[in-house]
Amino acid sequence: MTTLRKSNGPLPAWARAYFVLCFAMLAIAFYKAMTAPTEATMGNLYRVFFYHFPHAIESYIFPYLNCGASLLFLYWRKNSPEKAAKADAFAVASAELTVLYVSVGLATGTIWGRAAWGIWWAWDARMTTYLLLWLLYVSYILLRGVSASGQTSVISAVLAIFAAIDIPICFMSIRWWRTQHPAPVFGGDPDAGIDHSMLPAVFWNLAAWALWGAGILALRYAIERRRQRAYAAEALAYTEVQA
Amino acid sequence: MIPFHTLSQRHTVYAFCAVWILQFGYGIWLARQWKKTKQ
Repeated sequence: MTTLRKSNGPLPAWARAYFVLCFAMLAIAFYKAMTAPTEATMGNLYRVFFYHFPHAIESYIFPYLNCGASLLFLYWRKNSPEKAAKADAFAVASAELTVLYVSVGLATGTIWGRAAWGIWWAWDARMTTYLLLWLLYVSYILLRGVSASGQTSVISAVLAIFAAIDIPICFMSIRWWRTQHPAPVFGGDPDAGIDHSMLPAVFWNLAAWALWGAGILALRYAIERRRQRAYAAEALAYTEVQA
Repeated sequence: MIPFHTLSQRHTVYAFCAVWILQFGYGIWLARQWKKTKQ
């Protein structure tokens, strides 16, 4: 079977089937979000939560993947160049997914805040650390895009390790400090939580956006590996011409 | 169906649209990159 990683042609049939499954799950998740009972205080506005919550939770996973891949890259870079290249490609892919999922979290959060609070933004601990997370990974991508140094991968790997420090601070901020951002819905106070009739919409959206995220992460990784192979082939051809 | 009369209703629609634009916009960009990097 052709793997996505090694494929040089069109997307393999199994990968296309995977994305069809993703779209089917996203459609069901959307239907669940639209048909969940209307919330007593906020009305339909609370439905934004069904998209905001999965993206916010999953946006904390991708930076850890990026950090893990960066550590493996630093570990392998001298003795196992092929493994290091794979780790580097995975780090790039997970950094882009971090920016994407944090962007969605920020966009849905600010739009909800404007309607619920009357303000787009508040400089509280959660929102500030979340914005910082976004800025850190945008700078990671910019660094990789603009740096002409041969050490770009090493420098960005070090940045990725330091950037990951922001994740637990951001995650715990609504537990450690009083914030404008609402207290945790799950795993917070004993009286926190949502009605059981709304849980299927939460879990369907969590699963559907996780499945979609895993799919585009794999696709982005495969694209980066293709670029690495093309660059290596170009460098080899240049060396042969010079010799 | 979500009506579109009040600010909160409009913002619910905006939030959902923002998610689709960002996620599927990135997905389309990736599909183009996949074709572009064909070897």
